Amino acid sequence: MTTTVVLVDDEDLIRTGLRAIIDAEPDLCVVGECTDGAEVAAVVARLRPDVVLMDVRMSAVDGIQATQHLVSTMQSPPKVLVVTTFENDDYVYDALRAGASGFLLKRARPAEIVQAVRTVANGDSLLFPAAIRGLAAHRTPHRDTALRGVQLTDREAEVLRLIAKGMSNAEIAEQFVVSVETVKTHVGNVLTKLGARDRTQAVITAYESGFITPG
Amino acid sequence: MSRLGVVFGPLVSGSTYRRWVYLLLGAALLFFYLAIELTVNTVLHQQLPGLPYLIVTPLLFVLPPVLTAFLSAVRIVEAAAVRALLGLSFTVPTGGGYSWEVRWRTATWYVLHLLLGGVAAAAALFAVPIGIGFLLTPLADVPVLDVGVARWTLQHGWSSAWIPLLGVTLIVSAIYLGAGLGVVLMRAVPALLGPTPSERVAELERQATLLAERNRLARELHDSVGHALTITTIQAGAARRVLATDPEFADRALLAIEEAGRAALADLDHVLGLLREASTSTAPQPTLDELPQLLATTRSAGVTVHEELAGELSSVPLAVSREAYRIVQEGLTNALRHAGKVPVTLRIAVLLGNLELELVNPLGTAGGADRDGGGRGLAGMRERVTVLRGRFSAGAEDGQWRVCVRLPLRAGA
Repeated sequence: MTTTVVLVDDEDLIRTGLRAIIDAEPDLCVVGECTDGAEVAAVVARLRPDVVLMDVRMSAVDGIQATQHLVSTMQSPPKVLVVTTFENDDYVYDALRAGASGFLLKRARPAEIVQAVRTVANGDSLLFPAAIRGLAAHRTPHRDTALRGVQLTDREAEVLRLIAKGMSNAEIAEQFVVSVETVKTHVGNVLTKLGARDRTQAVITAYESGFITPG
Repeated sequence: MSRLGVVFGPLVSGSTYRRWVYLLLGAALLFFYLAIELTVNTVLHQQLPGLPYLIVTPLLFVLPPVLTAFLSAVRIVEAAAVRALLGLSFTVPTGGGYSWEVRWRTATWYVLHLLLGGVAAAAALFAVPIGIGFLLTPLADVPVLDVGVARWTLQHGWSSAWIPLLGVTLIVSAIYLGAGLGVVLMRAVPALLGPTPSERVAELERQATLLAERNRLARELHDSVGHALTITTIQAGAARRVLATDPEFADRALLAIEEAGRAALADLDHVLGLLREASTSTAPQPTLDELPQLLATTRSAGVTVHEELAGELSSVPLAVSREAYRIVQEGLTNALRHAGKVPVTLRIAVLLGNLELELVNPLGTAGGADRDGGGRGLAGMRERVTVLRGRFSAGAEDGQWRVCVRLPLRAGA
């Protein structure tokens, strides 16, 4: 099954480059492009892609606003992969908090770019866990907000920590010596209890609340 | 060694004698004032009756040095002398008006310099001749101890050996006095001659502005070069990926990479040019806003200048405006130097995002050989225009010397 992608970037040469890299993969296909965050909602509604590659900094509507809009208004929004020039970009973390599933450096190698698209599309593991931890470490967690009233079992809390480390379901299952199905149940419970759409959102919430200390 | 060094160091240290020179400068000024004042005073004493004379005389002695002391140039001259002779480094803001606070401080310093100089010179005038006289007593036929007001005849032999020692002591003491007075002056420099608090604040603000400007340039550079490198990286990655399957794309990607690299280099050139300009000039350089004054000066030198100015010259970016001013300035100077007082035509126009500048004058009778002298100036102009990504040409054409410059108004244009 082909993973469909929409590219959002105000720079033509970035879009043509990303398109060539992604289209060269048999399992990935760029189905549309936007030049600004303002166009994304309409294009996504029409094309229903699996993944949106979203530039963070754009002139009219930036990647954060566009991501927030997609995630909050759509029934089943696509996974958003935020694309950025600079690693220590505050915008990136804001985009992750706004609902993006991962981020990608524009200087990443073609193989890393396509792997990132696949990882975000299937949602089985966290993209660049160390980088997300680094970004979170620069922020002060809002301890008392996000996780108030959330009761995780010990096992679920442990699963959340392993997710934050970037472990996939299979790896977690191996560690706990349980079946992958069991892990999937735990992960599902964690996401439900945290009100998170995916692993990235769950991890961001965990960092934000101070449940996990980055660094 | 160190204790001996502390005690005898001043005698052999060059700084002691430089301090002496500084003190003697003050003394020279003081004696000059005194010489004039005493002469005038003699005249006044004969001409003026009692009371007016008593009123005028103190003013006569106080006013000339004090009035001089309040001249703003005194600070610059004193600062230069202090830097060179007392070996203190401090910055005195140049240009602009001086506040009365500064003038009072400088005046105090000036008077202090004169008075301490006077003290040092008086001591030297007393101690050195007498000291030398004492030193030479053993050589005299009839040794005499002469201190000006009193005179003793001495005995030959070792019983008078202390006299030359006293002579040495007198001379050495005078040297120490100069060193000591120099220290007193140096202590007073920060309070009287150095920058005032408000000048320090102004200097810090100037540096902050400069820093902010450099940060802005650095950010611009980071943005533009970062952008170009990002495009280069992605396009190169993509081209490699599809080289076999889509050579047409690979070809376009290579072109994009080439152009991104070229644009980034041009931006680097531009920003480095601005940085170099900022580092070589601390004083603000004139811009086209000052063109009228420049033309007036040139005309007063006897050169006829026809000017044709079109467009909003005041809207030209600073870097371009400064460069245009320098080109006009150099061009006019060259014309005068090489062709003599020939009429010069200057055209400046802001057109389609460019500043167009043309300077034309008839070739002089001096002929072409003299042209070479202007070569270095022309090379400098060409280099600076290139830095600003403009075009430059200069040469003889139909008996006319023509300098043509085009400077883009926008760095990225």
